[in-house]
Amino acid sequence: MDYSTIANSVLMWFACGCGVALVLFQAAVMTSKSLKAGKKLGITDEQIKVAVKSSAVGSIGPSLAILAGMVSLLVAMGGPISWFRLSYIGAVAYELMAAGFGAEVMGVTLGGADFSATAFACGVWVMTLGSIGWVLFTALATPKLDKFRTVLAGGRKELVPMVSVAAMCGAFSYLSIDRVVRFDSQTIAAVAGFAIMALFTKYNQKADKKWIREWSFCISMFAGMAISVLV
Amino acid sequence: MNNEQVNSSTYETEYIPSIIRFGRATNLLGVVLAFLPALVLTFVYKLHPPIGAVIAGFIMQASVSGVFWFVEPISYSPVLGIAGTYMSFLSGNIGNLRLPASVTALQAAKEEAGTERGSIIATIGIAVSIIVNVLMLTAGVILGSSILGALPPSVVAALNNILPALFGAMLAQQFVPNPKIGSVAVALASIMFALMKTGCLAFLPGTPSYAVVIVSVFGTILIGRKIMMADLAKKAD
Repeated sequence: MDYSTIANSVLMWFACGCGVALVLFQAAVMTSKSLKAGKKLGITDEQIKVAVKSSAVGSIGPSLAILAGMVSLLVAMGGPISWFRLSYIGAVAYELMAAGFGAEVMGVTLGGADFSATAFACGVWVMTLGSIGWVLFTALATPKLDKFRTVLAGGRKELVPMVSVAAMCGAFSYLSIDRVVRFDSQTIAAVAGFAIMALFTKYNQKADKKWIREWSFCISMFAGMAISVLV
Repeated sequence: MNNEQVNSSTYETEYIPSIIRFGRATNLLGVVLAFLPALVLTFVYKLHPPIGAVIAGFIMQASVSGVFWFVEPISYSPVLGIAGTYMSFLSGNIGNLRLPASVTALQAAKEEAGTERGSIIATIGIAVSIIVNVLMLTAGVILGSSILGALPPSVVAALNNILPALFGAMLAQQFVPNPKIGSVAVALASIMFALMKTGCLAFLPGTPSYAVVIVSVFGTILIGRKIMMADLAKKAD
């Protein structure tokens, strides 16, 4: 049987659908538990509403970027696996690489004329084994990670938010510099995104406008992209 | 004050334990379900890639991503919170989607990451990002490679520039209110990146970008703590 027939079969859709259903189920239950706890902590409905709205709008841009990365995965690995790997554990940066390694060890090229059903299966195995580390580690270690955060704050509860701020600064510095040093249009996009958001944040420290809090990410992201394309 | 203490205690005594029980169970189930497509290919479609090849491929992949199985949860959980950590690592795409979604939600609701209320808001932001991402990928896969593949290269190039703009914007949002901590982070990340690019980290196994992440995140936390302590001491004087 041709590998693309297998890759796009109903059975594969079902096998992949189970994982995606689990992600959605977990998100729904976690949300309902958190909403209940949030009410007790005095979080207002208005806060929930703006949080939902802005994270929904803010997720569109990154999801478009993931979608763009999915194109090449889709051609090589078929619909169900691409859909599965990008909504379940996987990350767009790793999956194409894992599929490529799977083909390489079989001595063929990913999506090439010699790419066989067996090479496809090998790719799926490599993708699976290569990504379960994340979910296995968090399944077992998450409560310890939370305690570790208090240790990082020197055991002082008032310093815990600082740990989060520092972690974000560190993570986004790394992610930004990785793009800035490419010295191409990605550099412009990163710098423009930074500059626009810096202006919004600076202005809103005093003005405290609600629309800026809700829309500034989205505007900075798309404006940064637009500037990088136009320049 | 008394009321607040009661609230805090249900957060610690009821909410967090129930999140941990549910999160652990669903993520362990997640490990099992992850194998389903591979098992179907092997046992239903009788496709048997040589075990040696699978192991070789796994080692190649693990040499790139293996360190991140540990580094990413440790580095990102202070922002994601407990519920958010389970959800983010079951769904994937952390730095490019879950983290921005949680920070966006926090900003809109005017809550701080790392606090009890902040963790609740971050969880909601992540849940929303999961739904949006699954919907968009489902639409994308239905439209199919024929339509997505027909996008002009200029559009694809533009889409690839969303992420760098996003990363820059996320950094600015943290940097402006915390210029000292932000400067430390940028300095550490730049130095580590330069060391990596000039081959000074070549003694480390694999691609040493994980060393850049570890030093950028934990170096900033440790130096940031010193700065904060000094600021607090000054205020106390």
